[in-house]
Amino acid sequence: MVSVLLLVGILVAVFVGYNVGGATTGPAFGPAVGADAISKTAAGVLMTVFFFVGAWTIGRRVVDTLGRELVRDPGVFTLEASIGVLFFIGAALFVGNFFGVPASTSMTAVGSIAGLGLAAGELNVAVMGEIAIWWLVSPFIGFWVSLIIGRYFYSSLNRRLAMTRSEGPLYRIDRSRWVPVPVPTDTTNRRELGGVAMVIVIGCLMAFSSGTSNIANAVAPLVGSGELAMNPAIIIGCAAVGIGTVTIARRTLETMGNDLTELPLTAAIVTATVSASLVIFLSAIGIPASFVIIATMCIIGLGWGRATRPITVADAVRGEESVPISVDALTADAEGETLPPIGDEDPERIPSASDLFNPATTARVVLMQNIVPVIATGGAYVTFRFVPIFGL
Amino acid sequence: MVSRVLVPMEDSEMSDRALEYALEVYPNAEITVLHVVGEPSQMWGYATGLALADDLEQAAAEHAKPIFDRAREIVADADGDAELETHIELGNPARAIINRANDYETVVIGTHSGSVADLVFVGNVAEKVVRSAPVPVVVVR
Repeated sequence: MVSVLLLVGILVAVFVGYNVGGATTGPAFGPAVGADAISKTAAGVLMTVFFFVGAWTIGRRVVDTLGRELVRDPGVFTLEASIGVLFFIGAALFVGNFFGVPASTSMTAVGSIAGLGLAAGELNVAVMGEIAIWWLVSPFIGFWVSLIIGRYFYSSLNRRLAMTRSEGPLYRIDRSRWVPVPVPTDTTNRRELGGVAMVIVIGCLMAFSSGTSNIANAVAPLVGSGELAMNPAIIIGCAAVGIGTVTIARRTLETMGNDLTELPLTAAIVTATVSASLVIFLSAIGIPASFVIIATMCIIGLGWGRATRPITVADAVRGEESVPISVDALTADAEGETLPPIGDEDPERIPSASDLFNPATTARVVLMQNIVPVIATGGAYVTFRFVPIFGL
Repeated sequence: MVSRVLVPMEDSEMSDRALEYALEVYPNAEITVLHVVGEPSQMWGYATGLALADDLEQAAAEHAKPIFDRAREIVADADGDAELETHIELGNPARAIINRANDYETVVIGTHSGSVADLVFVGNVAEKVVRSAPVPVVVVR
């Protein structure tokens, strides 16, 4: 009987891992696949490899936090309770993917486990507080860093990274040697090659960061229950992620439903670098990070910084910037037009990019991203508190 | 008699119906189709993509083109000789529509867009327009 339960637990964990693989390949390798740098299968394979490296090296610290520290007595992770927690995480992922409302898997996982701990009276409030504080601080760090980049460095970065794909395939496979090696074709220029390499490297970095923070969501309850040792758990979890990356991830990469693909390549690279670095840092100190919220704040920061940028004299002289944004009061008047008397002017303004970043509206989006984790926390608490089948 | 009608449109069946209704009920009116680009999205990628574009106006026009093409199709199907004005606004749809509505006598709008993600991140635009628009609003379902 116990072994059947363990099997069910592992199956639910595999389901969670499978969904994680599907959901995270899109953001990580969307830009690379979109730029025709690699195939979807190659993206899936790279995703799996780097996810595993991240999970094996740093990811175990987060597993420890979730499975052993967040609840004072890991004994609350009976197999039944572990399956319940994993069920909440899997359901949240499913809802997020199905309705197009991205939900942070890590927040949902912490919420479900906290719900369990609260119901059992074993929640470690100090650990929970530490996690919550980082959840508040890390998105703001991402926001400010991206804002500075967007405001002051984006144009020069964009010039440097601008990637135009030439006609024809990027590389051919040279089979005349011992090992088949990819060799750039004649139509591929060096700059292009550098750009492509960069997009792939960024994808791998994202995959690594995803491994560091997401492995815990799939296996932490089982490791906490003591039914599964750390290393086999990580291997099983990564295998499940691998299945997801080469199956359902094809769809998430294809549908372009992913909001990140709306970003220009340079922006995708900046966002990915900043948010992946933050996620890796948090995982290294054992904090489960919420990639969705950090990435969203990075995107908002980058866009807003760019929309409100000052225009340097050099740029204006070179004519590379569109001037009206900061000096619309002067350029809004077409030449030769007679100006209306003061006070009689048409109140209609020229639409500017800063209209896209209304504070109340952006706040709503970030708040709404927390809906699924909040529901999962409440649901987990009520379920574990009042449904008497979890052996608490 | 109503002579200036604003029809805010997006890519949804409801806004198609709003335009059809406006054409039917106000056959002699000058109809302006308004499309708001850069509305809130799951991870704000859509709006930021626009903000980062080299030429904001051109990028906005590209996003709005399919909507306006569809609107012209509907006009052609309905009768064919109504003049159609088009206008693009940026940012929060409800706010943009309400600001714009001042120049018109009536707003004709579809009830909702239909996707759960839109409802969560953008909210019900028709409801907000009804509540705050300075002119009468017709909600089409």
